[in-house]
Amino acid sequence: MNLPLIISDSCSFEHFREIGYHFVCEHEADVLLGSSKTPNSGLSYLGVEPQNELIIHPGASGAEVKAKMKEFCFADDEPVIGYLSYELGHELRGVESSKQFEFPLLHLKKYCAVLIHDGGDSSLKLVCDKTYRSVIDESILQAEVIPSVELPLFAAEKIRMSLDKQGYEDGVAGTLEYIRDGLTYQLNLTTRLTMDGGNVDPLLWFFALHNRYPAAYYALFRSGGKVIVSTSPELFLRVEQGRVLSEPIKGTLHFEEYSEELVRSLQSSVKEDSELSMIVDLIRNDISADCRYGSVAVEDHKSVFAVDNLLQMFSRVRGELAAGRDCIDLLLNAFPGGSITGCPKKSSMELIDKLEPHVRGPYCGSIVLINGPQDMVSSIAIRTAVYDQETQSIDYWAGSGIVIDSDPEAEYRETIAKAGKILTPESV
Amino acid sequence: MNILLIDNNDSFTNNLEHLLAREIAEAAIDVRPYAYVLGNGGDFDFRKYSLIIISPGPGCPADYPGYERVILSGLPVLGICLGMQILNEYYGGQTARLDGCFHGRTERIGFAGNDLAVARYHSLYCVQLGDGLQLLSVNSTQVPMAVAHESLPVLGYQFHPESFLTEQPGVFIEFALNHFGLL
Repeated sequence: MNLPLIISDSCSFEHFREIGYHFVCEHEADVLLGSSKTPNSGLSYLGVEPQNELIIHPGASGAEVKAKMKEFCFADDEPVIGYLSYELGHELRGVESSKQFEFPLLHLKKYCAVLIHDGGDSSLKLVCDKTYRSVIDESILQAEVIPSVELPLFAAEKIRMSLDKQGYEDGVAGTLEYIRDGLTYQLNLTTRLTMDGGNVDPLLWFFALHNRYPAAYYALFRSGGKVIVSTSPELFLRVEQGRVLSEPIKGTLHFEEYSEELVRSLQSSVKEDSELSMIVDLIRNDISADCRYGSVAVEDHKSVFAVDNLLQMFSRVRGELAAGRDCIDLLLNAFPGGSITGCPKKSSMELIDKLEPHVRGPYCGSIVLINGPQDMVSSIAIRTAVYDQETQSIDYWAGSGIVIDSDPEAEYRETIAKAGKILTPESV
Repeated sequence: MNILLIDNNDSFTNNLEHLLAREIAEAAIDVRPYAYVLGNGGDFDFRKYSLIIISPGPGCPADYPGYERVILSGLPVLGICLGMQILNEYYGGQTARLDGCFHGRTERIGFAGNDLAVARYHSLYCVQLGDGLQLLSVNSTQVPMAVAHESLPVLGYQFHPESFLTEQPGVFIEFALNHFGLL
């Protein structure tokens, strides 16, 4: 393996974005973009020219998925970028579904070269074969300013929703009955929005969204004629030398003007508090399967950050991988992320499958970067769109966590607020 | 100490396992799915265990038939949340919807001379206690929070000692071990 080579020690984040856009256009690059404004998300990645890939289609068992993933990811120490569909979770958790699949269970790639930008020290590193180095060096010089584009607006009357306002509110009401029966304590109910993307250049759209609404776990990933545009602010699992961190988000408050008082009001809401606490217990459980006894701990419970005019409450759950366990064991045992299923997980996923007419696909799955058995970053792929290059349509999904105190109309409003930056960006 | 933890498709079972490992020296904990223990035509051998724990889980006791084999084993049994409701129904008690539910929040309860905040996750509760079950703790609205059988090694907690919200979770594990004479 070629160790990462420092090719620049003064590459600004904006210049890295330009390099990213150039490689996306010219070298089929996939992109993971952090945010210069969010701590701990300083690393960004470009996977340049895919040279090997693993696609697993529905029908594979959980054990097969695990074996193939490990074989692909750990055969050498090249970085791997890819995504896992939410529906892989059906296989892993034993949930039966009769829905038609639209996406593979997972798609992972290795590349001719991977560029790594560190927003902390402005370094730009390259992992690649020696023979490829000159191609990268030359191409970097061609990077130019990213063309500035208006974010597209999508007229409400042209958006098709798998669950419209009435359908969503009925779904919330149905969920409340399941909660009263003890089948779930909290359930994440989503709707799928489909719209015409004929005027949208998905590559420019991605960079424009990132510029306007920075968040920590942006990703652009091409998969079989589709472009996944993920603008997620949520860390699912980070593993660094075996140290595990998850940052589940629960509790949302829309704001026009930020204030400490609003932060306190979010933190003191009994409903939002219990939503987050449930998911924290769930994440503790999910990482405990692969973590050393005594290592799992909760930190910074009920912290708050602002993204896209939303206050979001989160906590940190930490652990250490147990002997003999690796990041793929952890990822697959904990997948899908608890914050987008509900609790208890399997039962909630079975109910979601009944309540939602759509598949989630990459949405609520994970975008992953795997750097070896003890090192990985994965997001929860919320705030995520899929652009279909053939039909030129865009799919987007949005949802909300339903608990016993949920009001159907308010949950619908929260769901639409989360879709706001995609649908009507000028209003955010 | 060999402990069997029966998992009723729950999402807190690993938390319980880690709590037991922390609180009980030399604990060897087998976590087994409900379907594996009770769905195999009755051939699961309980004899190697000193303690059996029935996990929380979604749904109601009627969704989990077969637990009489666990109770009739004569081994000490601790039921948590759904687990307590399963024990209660075995002795003829009844389960009903809890008005307003109570999920992911704490409430202080009196327990064995302590006053502790415990995490509760339940939509249902033991509305009528089974024969021979005695209340060890109730909450402020008289919902049973802990019960024990008057003569048999059977104990139930409605709340979740394994939650990160529960204050001094070790108190509840130590109490159970003392109650069963396992300390």
